[in-house]
Amino acid sequence: MPLVATTALTKRYPGGVTALDGLDLALEPGIIGLVGANGAGKSTLLRILLGLLPPTSGGATVMGHDVCTAGTTLRRFVGYMPESDCLPPDTTATDFVGQMARLSGLPAAAARERAADVLRHVGLYEERYRPIGGYSTGMKQRVKLAQALVHDPRLLLLDEPTNGLDPAGREEMLALVRRTGTEFGIAVIVASHLLGEIERVCDFLVAIDAGKLVRAAPLREFTERTGNLAVEVEDGAAALGAALVAAGLTVTVEGRTVLVELHDDRPWDLVRDAVADLGLPLVRIEQRRRGLEELFR
Amino acid sequence: MTGTGGTAGTSTGATGNIYDLGYQGYDGPRVGRPRVALDLLLQTLRAAYGIGRGGRAKIVPFLMLGLSVLPAVLAVGISALAAQAGAAGALDEASPIRHDTYQNLTSTLVMLFCAAQAPELFGRDQRYGVLPLYFSRVLTRIDYTLARAGGLFLAIFIVTVVPQVILSLGAILVAPDPLTGLQKDLPEVPRYLLVSVLASALLGGVATVIAAWTPRRAYATAAIIAVFVVPPIVVALMAELAVGDAARALVLLSPGDILDGVNAAIFDAVSPNPTVVAANLPGWTYLVATVGGTAGCVLLVVRRYLSVTA
Repeated sequence: MPLVATTALTKRYPGGVTALDGLDLALEPGIIGLVGANGAGKSTLLRILLGLLPPTSGGATVMGHDVCTAGTTLRRFVGYMPESDCLPPDTTATDFVGQMARLSGLPAAAARERAADVLRHVGLYEERYRPIGGYSTGMKQRVKLAQALVHDPRLLLLDEPTNGLDPAGREEMLALVRRTGTEFGIAVIVASHLLGEIERVCDFLVAIDAGKLVRAAPLREFTERTGNLAVEVEDGAAALGAALVAAGLTVTVEGRTVLVELHDDRPWDLVRDAVADLGLPLVRIEQRRRGLEELFR
Repeated sequence: MTGTGGTAGTSTGATGNIYDLGYQGYDGPRVGRPRVALDLLLQTLRAAYGIGRGGRAKIVPFLMLGLSVLPAVLAVGISALAAQAGAAGALDEASPIRHDTYQNLTSTLVMLFCAAQAPELFGRDQRYGVLPLYFSRVLTRIDYTLARAGGLFLAIFIVTVVPQVILSLGAILVAPDPLTGLQKDLPEVPRYLLVSVLASALLGGVATVIAAWTPRRAYATAAIIAVFVVPPIVVALMAELAVGDAARALVLLSPGDILDGVNAAIFDAVSPNPTVVAANLPGWTYLVATVGGTAGCVLLVVRRYLSVTA
């Protein structure tokens, strides 16, 4: 039985906006990235899978439960972290997450215990006894993740979990998502418009654009086709380019930046060696993505 | 991938140190939907009195409760003093604080309670965007609406019924013979229970409709007060200006006047409210207006929550 299956799933909002257009998907458990530009239909898909939003036509099942008819059943084992702000500022994280646990059917004592456990898992300690209004964005995102995990779901739906976080916060949130999927054994669907983030945590990618499926494949097949390594040096870009070409790489020089085509891990070492041999002042090395549309072609 | 390996490595290491406490699943019991709805109802009741919300949230609800109980406590105290002075029962008929007058006496306080607490209970979840978290769990939108409304109803019921219960206890304890006191007071009990239920339902219903449509708290409070205060004035003015059945029926548009009419009908007494006396409608019309008005409010609120974005 697939984790999530949709058949010709279509959602049209009143006013004529088509958010999902005949989407067919069959996803197996794992950490699944749902990528697409803003407005591609990611949030709509998640909300339909939760039974929060009825599809206009077509159907979907989550772990064999029909989203239209078995909403209350399937929501017991699904956790949802919405994209928007959803935390009351005048409540403490402990109280709020405990209350959410009870609303998922946990008895009072178990709810308190789970709330404390889960908040610790997401990295909130003493702060959890303070009102949420005083939290940083990073802490709020953790509370949002905690409330989605508190009832020990089998499937976690995360909508832009790194929204509003600084780079360090992003790393931590991604590490948490990865751990949730691998160590906790919970299937995860992460929606994001940032492919660079998604590919660090996911095993499987689903790319949608304007409500249509662009591609659904294991991550490997996507990254094989990706990009460029950008090497920026203070000077000597031309010399570096020549050395890398001599080493057998395909290279373009743009000002101080040398772009190296990346098909496997080999260029990383070659670039390092070439820069060291030439004694060049290195500014940065970064992996560049092609645009989403290009990638999904 | 390797390019960000440096930073990713350290932060994974750091998070590993912090979070590596082992995740435990939950295999314990889970309660059903009715029980979850009851939990939400009781949680709403507690929230209506600011319990679990910090000191400031308790001020208004408990002040209103205290003020509405005060006349009952005073009445019982005075009749106890009278009994001590050897004039037991002398005040019973003369006292203006009786079961049949209490509704009219404290209706303003009950309205203020609604105006202060309904926006807190209904606006908050919308204002802070919490609804998606409620609706992505066990309860349906209708479950949520009814549980919240039920909690508010119980909270108002407490404000209306507690003073009446105090009057009853006073009547029993102050009487020379408690059994006679009980016998004398007992017929009043179902009457004031019914009045309290109807008053809580109608005022709570009206306040809920406004609060559910007005997430901004201050606006909701102002609107609720306006809906309780303005219609009686308009109705009284219209009664002055126009004569006729249509004008008399206007009283059924004012929640406060309806409840005065209900109270007079149930206690078979003359209402102290001049508008109600002037309207001179049969008692059942007020009952129908209360029940119909409450049902209409519930339908409107359910409709609101079925369509509200979450």
